[in-house]
Amino acid sequence: MRYYIGAEARLRRTVEDVAMSVFESWNYEEVITPSVDYYALFEQGMGPREAQRGFRFTDNDGRLLALRPDVTSSVARMAATLLSERPRPLRFCYAASVFRQQTQSHAEWRRENTQLGCELIGIDGKAADLEVLRLAAEILSRLDLDYCITINNVEIFNGVAANLNLHLSEREQLRRLIDTREAAELQRFLQSYDGNEARAFSQPTKLTGKREVISTARDLITNPRAVAALDSLEELWTEIESLGLADTFEIDLSDVSSLDYYTGLSLKVFVHGAGSSVGRGGRYDDLTGSFGRAEPAVGFVLNLDALTEVLGRRLI
Amino acid sequence: MQDGALSLLSSAGIRLSEEALNSRRLALTDESGEYQFIFVKPADVPVYVEHGIADCGVVGRDVLMESEADLLLPLDLRIARCRLVVAAADADAMAKVQGMIRVATKYSQIARAHFGARGIPVEIIQLSGSVELAPALGLADMIVDLVETGTTLRENGLTVVEVITESTGRLVVNRASYQLKAEEVNRLVQALDRALNGVQ
Repeated sequence: MRYYIGAEARLRRTVEDVAMSVFESWNYEEVITPSVDYYALFEQGMGPREAQRGFRFTDNDGRLLALRPDVTSSVARMAATLLSERPRPLRFCYAASVFRQQTQSHAEWRRENTQLGCELIGIDGKAADLEVLRLAAEILSRLDLDYCITINNVEIFNGVAANLNLHLSEREQLRRLIDTREAAELQRFLQSYDGNEARAFSQPTKLTGKREVISTARDLITNPRAVAALDSLEELWTEIESLGLADTFEIDLSDVSSLDYYTGLSLKVFVHGAGSSVGRGGRYDDLTGSFGRAEPAVGFVLNLDALTEVLGRRLI
Repeated sequence: MQDGALSLLSSAGIRLSEEALNSRRLALTDESGEYQFIFVKPADVPVYVEHGIADCGVVGRDVLMESEADLLLPLDLRIARCRLVVAAADADAMAKVQGMIRVATKYSQIARAHFGARGIPVEIIQLSGSVELAPALGLADMIVDLVETGTTLRENGLTVVEVITESTGRLVVNRASYQLKAEEVNRLVQALDRALNGVQ
């Protein structure tokens, strides 16, 4: 619950305008989606665990509604249904508030925050991934923010975990240990498993950095699924380098926070002055399929309120 | 925790002067001028670090579990080792209690999760200290508390019913700092890692 008054409101509007004008210059069409929709939509789109964080209530006929906890679900459904005949690719952007119940986290943003987001639907591969990364970078640099975008490919972890034949709960434990960089516990956990591959994750400091991160990982990771993901991440990195963006990007193989959602590239956005990430995104090729038309899709969101807060502090 | 952390940091080459330590200031700079220290209550460490006010912090695993903070935990500092236990006057208390078990604790999240995971209905009574008194005075059937040597438990007529987990001091790092100040954070992690494995 946050009021923006006068100069703050103007600043917030400016940040939004900058983002939307960058989206527009890349031919992204604005969409406005319903703020209230059936809960089933978000459960399908975000998965039950994330969707549960939405505020839910019932309609007159008893059906479950929700205040939208994300916009991507609605856009994905729209692409699969309303716009199924439109030629691909589809490019959409939005500035829309989303509503989530607060978790325990102390630094978690408020119940309501506004997402500046984009979705690129219907094309696969490096070019599409690169396009959204460049978009994010352009917005952040137009806002004159000191930023760092971390990229990863979730199939690296998925390939390694599949190769270890882990039960769901063990896989979740491994994921959590990597996510929180608990090196010692990770080594202990891996002692009971054969094979060297997973040891690639046991030295957290070697999982974050530039191109060398990939070559270090290659020394240990050999299963085809993960190797293919390393290849595509490296190709993406080469493009980032050739665009002169390597200073503001990092590879982070330990970013395994949203494995159930993303299917390839995953990204997180950090800016100096904010204590937690201010944006995230990635490739979610499985999502539109759950609405009846499977096709590749990639996108990201930035948190308008968090960006405004960082920029606002600068004005004082 | 503070003494253990300071001596570990000093063997990693990060020292606070005597003068600074003896002062009553809560924010200090180390001798090299590279690190700023802030001294806060244990439960507040995850709060400062999660907000990125402090890039790194030292705090017990018990506090982290209770706060459920979203932080990186790159190092177990192996200081202030203790156990988080369920204790009662009677070792078989769990079987003997009729109906709802009343549990007094400072760690209500952990207690709720611990009993909840096994479907044991409990009434959590949140206290802020001297938890060992609660069973003797009839406030609770059991307690969930931190035990270092067990002396306080014994002197209050309590025995350990079960050990929930071990707790040691951890280095915690803010997620954004880990990316944005990667070099500095890694230098600290590696220095502490070396200091730890040298003492071993």
